Amino acid sequence: MAIRLGAWRPLVTRWGPLLVLALALIFPLGADSYWLTVGIGILTFAMLGLGLNLVVGYAGLLDLGYAAFYAIGAYTTALLSTVGHMTFWETLPFAVACSAIAGVIVGYPTLRLRSDYLAIVTLGFGEIVRITATNLGFTGGPNGIYAIPSPSIMGYQFFSQDSQYYLAVAFLLVVLFFTRQLAHSRLGRAWLSLREDESASEAVGVPSVRVKLWAYVFGAIFGGLAGAFFAARLTAISPDSFTYTQSINILMVVVLGGMASFPGVILGAAVVVGLPEVLRFMQLWRLFVFAIGLIALMLLRPQGIWPAASRKENPFGPGSERKLGPPLPLEALGRSRDSDGEEAALDVSGLRRRFGGVLAVDDVAFTVRPGEICSIIGPNGAGKTTVFNCITGVTRPDGGEVRLHGRALHGQTPHQVVGAGLSRTFQGIRLFKSMAVYENVLVGMYPHQKANVVDSLLHTGRQRREERDSLLRCQALLRFCGLEELAGHRASELSYGDQRRLEIARALAAQPKVLLLDEPAAGMNPSEKQALMGLVRRIRDLGVTVVLIDHDMNLVMGVSDHVVVLDRGRKIADGTPQEILADERVVAAYLGRDEDDEEVNAWPS
Amino acid sequence: MSVFVQYLVNGLTIGSFYALVALGYTMIYGIIRLINFAHGDLFMVGAFAGWLVVAAGAGMHLPVAMQLLLALLVAMVVVGLLAMGMERVAYQPLLKSSRLAILITALGVSLALENGAMIAFGAGFDTYPANILPLSGFHLFGAQVGYVQVAMFGLAILLMAGLYLFVQFTPVGTAMRALSFDQDAARLMGINVEGVVLITFLLGGSLAAASGVMMGLYYTQINFMMGFLMGLRAFTAAVLGGIGNIPGAMVGGLLIGVLQSLSAGYISSQWQDVIVFAVLILVLVFKPTGLFGERVVERM
Amino acid sequence: MARRYSWILAAAGAMSLLVAGCGSATTSSSSSSSAPIKIGVPVPLSGSYASAGEDIVDGAKLAAAKINGSGGVLGRKIQIVPVDDACDAQTATQAAQNLVSQNVTAVAGGYCSSASLPELQVFHSQGDLPFVLDASTNPQLTELGYNDVFRTIGRDDEQGPFAANFIANFLHAKKVVVMDDNSTYAVGLQQDTVKALKTYGITATVQHLTPGQSDYTSVLTQINQLHPDVLYYTGYFTEMGLLLKQAHQLGYKFQMVGGDATNDPTVLSTAGSAANGFMLTTAPLAQFLGTAKSYVTEYTQKYGHAPGPYSVYEYDAVSVLAQAIKNADSTKASKINAAIGKIHDFKGLTGTFSFNKIGDRTPAVYITLRVVNGNFTAYKELNDAGQWVSVK
Repeated sequence: MAIRLGAWRPLVTRWGPLLVLALALIFPLGADSYWLTVGIGILTFAMLGLGLNLVVGYAGLLDLGYAAFYAIGAYTTALLSTVGHMTFWETLPFAVACSAIAGVIVGYPTLRLRSDYLAIVTLGFGEIVRITATNLGFTGGPNGIYAIPSPSIMGYQFFSQDSQYYLAVAFLLVVLFFTRQLAHSRLGRAWLSLREDESASEAVGVPSVRVKLWAYVFGAIFGGLAGAFFAARLTAISPDSFTYTQSINILMVVVLGGMASFPGVILGAAVVVGLPEVLRFMQLWRLFVFAIGLIALMLLRPQGIWPAASRKENPFGPGSERKLGPPLPLEALGRSRDSDGEEAALDVSGLRRRFGGVLAVDDVAFTVRPGEICSIIGPNGAGKTTVFNCITGVTRPDGGEVRLHGRALHGQTPHQVVGAGLSRTFQGIRLFKSMAVYENVLVGMYPHQKANVVDSLLHTGRQRREERDSLLRCQALLRFCGLEELAGHRASELSYGDQRRLEIARALAAQPKVLLLDEPAAGMNPSEKQALMGLVRRIRDLGVTVVLIDHDMNLVMGVSDHVVVLDRGRKIADGTPQEILADERVVAAYLGRDEDDEEVNAWPS
Repeated sequence: MSVFVQYLVNGLTIGSFYALVALGYTMIYGIIRLINFAHGDLFMVGAFAGWLVVAAGAGMHLPVAMQLLLALLVAMVVVGLLAMGMERVAYQPLLKSSRLAILITALGVSLALENGAMIAFGAGFDTYPANILPLSGFHLFGAQVGYVQVAMFGLAILLMAGLYLFVQFTPVGTAMRALSFDQDAARLMGINVEGVVLITFLLGGSLAAASGVMMGLYYTQINFMMGFLMGLRAFTAAVLGGIGNIPGAMVGGLLIGVLQSLSAGYISSQWQDVIVFAVLILVLVFKPTGLFGERVVERM
Repeated sequence: MARRYSWILAAAGAMSLLVAGCGSATTSSSSSSSAPIKIGVPVPLSGSYASAGEDIVDGAKLAAAKINGSGGVLGRKIQIVPVDDACDAQTATQAAQNLVSQNVTAVAGGYCSSASLPELQVFHSQGDLPFVLDASTNPQLTELGYNDVFRTIGRDDEQGPFAANFIANFLHAKKVVVMDDNSTYAVGLQQDTVKALKTYGITATVQHLTPGQSDYTSVLTQINQLHPDVLYYTGYFTEMGLLLKQAHQLGYKFQMVGGDATNDPTVLSTAGSAANGFMLTTAPLAQFLGTAKSYVTEYTQKYGHAPGPYSVYEYDAVSVLAQAIKNADSTKASKINAAIGKIHDFKGLTGTFSFNKIGDRTPAVYITLRVVNGNFTAYKELNDAGQWVSVK
């Protein structure tokens, strides 16, 4: 928490923004042209910071070359207005389009890279853009471009410091508006989920590469917009303004202010641009003192000066009905299996997967009938989770076939598998820890939501209807799993059992035909386990076929219709719980492992 | 042919300086997953420390070899300690928070070192004695090779080999490798994690300092901003080789040097950085974890 | 929704920071008849070019001390106000505005053209503050049609022809390579030199290097393959020293000639004995001007090292401003601008000069230097008949 507002909160949250806006608007009355210039500098960096915040703060992609987009926007505007004789306003769409295209060009081939590798790719791209601008003739070489006309509206020239300041405020408000729209949309939540845990995000149905690409493109767009403004304001640009150091400064704005925090980023811009100005009287010591201040600030506030809120208001609290409408009945969560067809819910055949010299899964085949609860059991290292990973596309099998209601899943990525109707949870809980409980569930709805990027940007009627429907469904799901009260908490604040249930709610949000639960009861005490099994039955009653992995035979036998036993990568038994208990090979597999106490104890006594 | 060999020789010389700095990047990354942006500036501080020693040594009329050895040792020790202090003050308290927070303190440390050096030594260029090392050399396939070049290259290889053996065959080295696998497990095994991290900084800092002194001796000019570009290059080299991977950093450094030399020679110096970065990006697109794969303090 | 509008608070914080700043800025802006006359010096004081900036500020301070020592101007002292423009356009505008808000009477300085240009625009739009450039040689700067821009240093397009003449008529070179370092200044000089060489029938090969690299052996090897007689380098002293040393190591024999930005003792300390025989074209530096002998002594005593290439031009820029203020008997910008325009045959440390209509120094004088036994020594100059003669 940044500042404890206490009882003042309602007052501050309601009037604070207007007060600041008013202050910002009357600022030129009290400031001389020097502080106005500094103000414009801060506003420019706030625009850049808000754009980069989408990439770094939201999507969690480290970008060390953001100045490249700033440069591309600036050069596009400069060239079109000097050589092409366009007005500033006419150049804007081109500046935005060129930087967006640059975003695609750098993003598309490289977004599969892991974050630190991506960082150097972006750094390299930034340098390539700057050096190219320095070396080419039409960009004016190291001289850059002079005599760019100032913007004007109906004959009024934005030439004075005052008018440029107000223009900067207007630009910042536009950027602020659209970045906030994006942040509070399907896309924004998907970005956050990627930042929190990329593979979990992919596994709940978020197409990570495409979503990252959009982060890049939007980051580029706002960077380009800031660049266009910069060029028209200074009326001269040169490659020296778009160095790696500049990219670093913009990154500082975001991290110092607070990632994914809009007030934080604006404050960050004020510090990064304003502090060195305030320190001008120190002469030689100026940047040294700034550096020390930077380190100290980061040590004191590792999350940033004004971090993003750690807890959200419960959207389903008192009074929510007025906004959302009446809650959905739990029956609304049920699904009809009529359209699923006659085939087996899940049909696995000949599945094989080798890790180095070890055959982790060796020719495993089993069939899950629609509407049943099927358990896969086996000692540690039997290959259970690998089977799950092969089914869900996390691991690519070396051979074999997986069919979901007759439809082949082979070769699909995890998010495509989710889209086809197969959801999962993880053995070690993988929630989006710093997101609110309800947001976790909303991310799970990603595959079924229809809002496209334009909807997300503009919050169209369609998008708002969909958001409301999603929230209502989310409310019902949380109630179904017993978490409604906790909807506004951070996922990391939940107890262990609640986290398990939240993961199930998130998986159910994708409206799966088949739900895979990987050791859902691990670490629970007996009564929690019983409650969980009740939940599993109720999920089945909604019309969802359930496949679960567990060691605990007691538990599994009570709830399952069908049990598959694996040992050392092979299936050794397949049948009803009674048949399994009577199977000698199963007994041997479990009891023959005295080195693993847990497994022995897990055998029903 | 002779020209090609000339480019190669020159590229390997500068590449060996890059490699020494890249090693520090890669070791620190391998252990605490931090891109230590201040590492290039340790190189700069090393160059200045060595310069002070050489100047003092000349004042005391020490033999040249003695001056050089002393400069190297003092710089390595001073900068190694500085690196440890840096870790303690600016990084260690943040190891448990967001990785970006440490990244920013690293940038802060970098800025502080650069401007601190500017205040201490002035903004201008200082120079190692220009004629302290012989300019003579020999011909190899028509290329001119300086004795100093060979010596520098040899010393760099020696240091790298020393590091390799240290990491591979000493208990501390084994602990470092364990840490790069799994810090929590290493802690549970009774490894003094903080201590090992500090030693990593000590080693990384000393190697950077050695590179700084060698580069100062070879090119004579030193300046408070010299670490900036070096840091960028070394970071690139470390990633090219596969960050976290010690042999990768060595090969990456040499490759970047040669690549720069060849592209400056055959295309144009003004495009050399574009070419280096373009090659890096291409390599990463096809081999997403660099040439030698990542985090392979363990796989050496 | 709790934090929906909390961003506004952040902006409030930002604003209060600014407002605090305004307060301090406005209080300091009072001026009276006995308060010193402030002369702003915008130069890079951080980053790679900080050394040049410091050198310029030192020159300005020496000039102010000299003027103040003999009673100041209009009964008031001259005060030098240095600001850091970091060679960056945005910082430069802020730095320039900072000077305006400190009520400087005039400005003398500038180093990077990329920063000088936005500064110039700020001063021009804020009441035509007089701006005397000391180091920016880019021709464009005085050709914007502003009446408040002057410079005490020659332009690239004057040095280029001088260098071409020297290379063609004195060195009798047939094959010439002209190399820049991709900076505004160096590219300008390169282009002007190449153009002028054509008039002597020499088609020069153009080369570029990326500054800050330490290793230029590849570029040198590439150049050597052309077997040139002369390499004219238009970039800065840092790279020049390294080029000399590395060419020597590689055993290359072509004559190297540098532009005026290579006129710095760093070349000598970097290259050592390899610098012997190196020549450069430059406006006459303090060290080689009879008029500036005492300046060099004074500077060296005070700052512990010899003056760099531009401090003496800054000295003259400040002196010109003081003279103009005295002549105008006013600190009003328009009157000072007019007075600078009228200055005739000003006896500066860099020679006797006036300003032409657009504010450029006339005449711009150049000489060549040569390194002998590890020292820059005056070499050749053009006499009035257009012949190369030894500098007296």
